[in-house]
Amino acid sequence: MSKIGVFVCHCGENIGGTVDCEKVAQEAAKIPGVEVSTDYKYMCSDPGQTIIKNAIKEKGLDGVVVAACSPRMHESTFRAACAEACLNPYMCEIANIREHCSWVHEKGEATTQKALDLVRMQVEKVKKDLPLSTIKVPVTKKALVIGGGIAGIQAALDIANAGHKVILVEKEPSIGGHMAQLSETFPTLDCSQCILTPRMVEVAQHPNITLYTYAEVEGLEGFIGNFTARIRLKARSVDLEKCTGCGMCTTKCPTKKVPSEFNALMGLRTAIYVPSPQSVPNKPTIDKEHCVYYKTGKCKLCEKVCPTGAITFDAPDEIITEEVGAVVVCTGFDVAPTSEFSEYGYGRYKDVITGLQFERLASASGPTMGEIRRPSDGTVPKKIVFIACAGSRDAAKGRPYCSKICCMYTAKHAMLYQHKVHDGESYVFYMDIRAGGKNYDEFVRRAIEEDGVNYIRGRVARVYERDGKLIVKGVDTLLGGEQVEIEADMVVLATAGVANKGAEDLAQKLHISYDKYNFFAEAHPKLKPVETNTAGIFLAGACQSPKDIPDTVAAASGAAVKVAALFSKDQLLREPVVAVVNRMPPPVFSTCVGCSLCVDICPYSAITMENIKDRAGNVIKTVASINPGLCQGCGTCVAFCRSKSIDLQGFSNEEMYSSVMAALHE
Amino acid sequence: MDKLKAKLIELFQSGEITLAIGYKQGTRGPRPFFCRSASDVEQMIFSNDYQPNLAVYLTKKEVVKDEKVAIVCTISALRSIAYLARENQIGQSQYKIIHLSPNDELMIFRSPWDIDPYIEEIPSTPSEDDRRVIEMLDAMTSEERWAWWAAQFSKCIKCYACRAACPMCYCTRCIVDNNRPQWIDPWASPLSNMEWQINRVMHLAGRCVGCGACGAACPEGIPVHLLNRKILDNIEENFGITAGLAPREGAVLNTFKPDDKENFIK
Ligand SMILES: Cc1cc2nc3c(=O)[nH]c(=O)nc-3n(C[C@H](O)[C@H](O)[C@H](O)COP(=O)(O)OP(=O)(O)OC[C@H]3O[C@@H](n4cnc5c(N)ncnc54)[C@H](O)[C@@H]3O)c2cc1C
Ligand code: SF4
Ligand code: SF4
Repeated sequence: MSKIGVFVCHCGENIGGTVDCEKVAQEAAKIPGVEVSTDYKYMCSDPGQTIIKNAIKEKGLDGVVVAACSPRMHESTFRAACAEACLNPYMCEIANIREHCSWVHEKGEATTQKALDLVRMQVEKVKKDLPLSTIKVPVTKKALVIGGGIAGIQAALDIANAGHKVILVEKEPSIGGHMAQLSETFPTLDCSQCILTPRMVEVAQHPNITLYTYAEVEGLEGFIGNFTARIRLKARSVDLEKCTGCGMCTTKCPTKKVPSEFNALMGLRTAIYVPSPQSVPNKPTIDKEHCVYYKTGKCKLCEKVCPTGAITFDAPDEIITEEVGAVVVCTGFDVAPTSEFSEYGYGRYKDVITGLQFERLASASGPTMGEIRRPSDGTVPKKIVFIACAGSRDAAKGRPYCSKICCMYTAKHAMLYQHKVHDGESYVFYMDIRAGGKNYDEFVRRAIEEDGVNYIRGRVARVYERDGKLIVKGVDTLLGGEQVEIEADMVVLATAGVANKGAEDLAQKLHISYDKYNFFAEAHPKLKPVETNTAGIFLAGACQSPKDIPDTVAAASGAAVKVAALFSKDQLLREPVVAVVNRMPPPVFSTCVGCSLCVDICPYSAITMENIKDRAGNVIKTVASINPGLCQGCGTCVAFCRSKSIDLQGFSNEEMYSSVMAALHE
Repeated sequence: MDKLKAKLIELFQSGEITLAIGYKQGTRGPRPFFCRSASDVEQMIFSNDYQPNLAVYLTKKEVVKDEKVAIVCTISALRSIAYLARENQIGQSQYKIIHLSPNDELMIFRSPWDIDPYIEEIPSTPSEDDRRVIEMLDAMTSEERWAWWAAQFSKCIKCYACRAACPMCYCTRCIVDNNRPQWIDPWASPLSNMEWQINRVMHLAGRCVGCGACGAACPEGIPVHLLNRKILDNIEENFGITAGLAPREGAVLNTFKPDDKENFIK
């Protein structure tokens, strides 16, 4: 016979004001198996917990029901109290008489009766409860960081400095991401490269970081603490060990007219190339698509001039596997191309460029050495128009969201232009100025008040070319919708920040969720901003939504702390609420008939088939088996199994059945 | 038929089989026949319309253990074997699967997986009589339908003949045998009879091949197979899966395709 304690909490007036707690306790005392039943004003308080602990010790209780608030609030509190009194914590159940009763009903007889019913259900459940213990899973203390922009760099450095090994995978030949392409950065106008390159170098030299550039994650299997990543090291046709980065090859390469990705397609590069002088690693890669040898089978000029014999033509891609315990996804974002905008010439006008292209023009390492010159004829534009929100906040274009960074970088661009072209005139068309952030609004005011940038509130309807000029037609909504026409030399579109091309594909490989714009989804928009819904996989930076550098770095450090916390223990403790396929002595072994239909339905791929063998190794029976590390306790398989061979620990069929029956026949 | 008998005799004589499961004449029509020697093959009879579905014996250890088995299959039994193989209940080349097609061609399937291309061409269809009853039931209001079935199930004596006749009811512990908890009361009563039938049918949803053996086995004459047939129809309508064909990509009701209709979610 069970000895169960029932502890009814008033929660001050929260429960006591509506439910007659004293009566619930008195009535509960009459349920068979209930040894003690009592009520108290605040069960979660120290004296309240002491009542429970003393009752367990004095009466030798083997089960506890606390009738109080939602188990989400205090289940762990009461379970810990039980554990302190040497009762298995999973023998403690919560009857939620607050959210499920007192808060949603009027004061009255029926409400008290319902509270009693809820208690009765849990008493019957506790009678069937089995003691459980937490599940321990080992942790591989090595992190995989995907994407080597500032987010990935920061996360990798923070995790590495916490003393853990990091694998950093970057798909381009160099790390750095978009920040490496920027000229100067708002709101302080410090040079992007100057603050970024030291960190890039630190990554390359850090003893705890293994850097794989020109590499991509092909697949990720496993679960928190125990992932296996398959990584493709794309053949760069250059042996990084032998290459000294002397640069002879790039001077001799006959293919010199490949648009440079690093320069946002405005400058040119060779087929064997280093993206920028600051690249890490500062060693070349052969772009197979444009290399004469790869296209025609002849050339190999670079091989001839290479003093160390580092060129490795026709080397295959290599696939490696790495065991890691956590993953931080930092794959960043992209900007929409000008070709998307019919009203601004579909990308046909050479002098209509994106903000990212403007960054390259303004950058000292860019194609014009930092002078603002028109891509069409190389002249310095005397009149320049910046159009904010190009494609953002535009439901018709399918992107109702704000790209967040454009207001700020547009102000920066206009300012940089004014600093570089003293007699130039600049205009910014905007919808609203969103400059929330430390020193951000001040920055925009400076552009307007000190640098004389003309801000016009309104949309630009059209841009077209006339006699070598770009005619910008818009309205000024602050002047009552007056038509404005500006004859500009150059137009810069602050095109929307968008998800990377491969984002959806990567999300599927990693089994993480993403939103309808293909930005990766956080587990909770406020309280879990760097976690994904998949335990052990974290997010940072612009892959989640467009973000500026300060937000990106903060998120990266946040994700790194989560990883470090995960790695601070040798084993992970998990709640034992996982499904289990029954096992019993021979000759039955399990009531599972091995139909294997549950394998397909588990949303977390936690179920596999296991062979039960005799001593000689012959297979006697094949039955389902559930990996407790992977199982999330959703219960899908439990409902599915026809022979009822699967039970969810803590919510077993028998426990739930008793509980439901108690509700039905009181 | 002669070709079939000749083949079985040959298999017995060469020692390739020790047991042939087929049909022989019983007092009230065909009945299962466990033929153990070439000399008994003479008694074998066959038609694709025969009940029961002999595939039911292939998962019974007490029948097939330590035997080399040939099974003479109706088209329905072939369908069941294809499903049993999908659900890992029979092995690659464990049994000699013998079939006489409606145009009298002798077919031997090396593996259950070879059955698909053949049955793909032959949809599983209900008899004219069954179709008429289903149409009558479809025309009823749900209250009328409930009352009709309640009257039918009040006759059920919980003998579980329907379960015993079904090749897909091979679980070693059926939900009705489970007493922790006792999901369904073991005795016959209006509520528990209804519970049992609903469970039986739902456990076969997406797996039933529509052979009708359950209905044919019921000593009370309850057309229990019509419930299964209705689900086959629903699956065909909603997922375009030909009735009785085991889908290669996984069982229809436990796999998800992005273009699955979701019009039942209201
Ligand atoms: C025009 C413009 C101007 C800006 N100016 C400023 C400014 O002045 N101040 C400021 O604070 N912010 C500015 N920003 C914002 C800044 O660029 C971002 O905050 C920052 O780049 C985000 O860093 P990230 O690491 O998240 O992404 P990214 O910089 O996009 O880096 C992502 C990295 O991941 C790699 N990657 C992508 N997919 C994969 C994959 N599948 N596998 C491996 N690697 C992958 C990419 O190659 C890249 O190296 C500006 C942005 C733009 C567009
Ligand atoms: S646990 Fe159930 S569903 Fe899974 S293989 Fe076993 S019997 Fe089939
Ligand atoms: S409870 Fe859910 S996650 Fe766990 S094995 Fe079953 S279906 Fe998979």
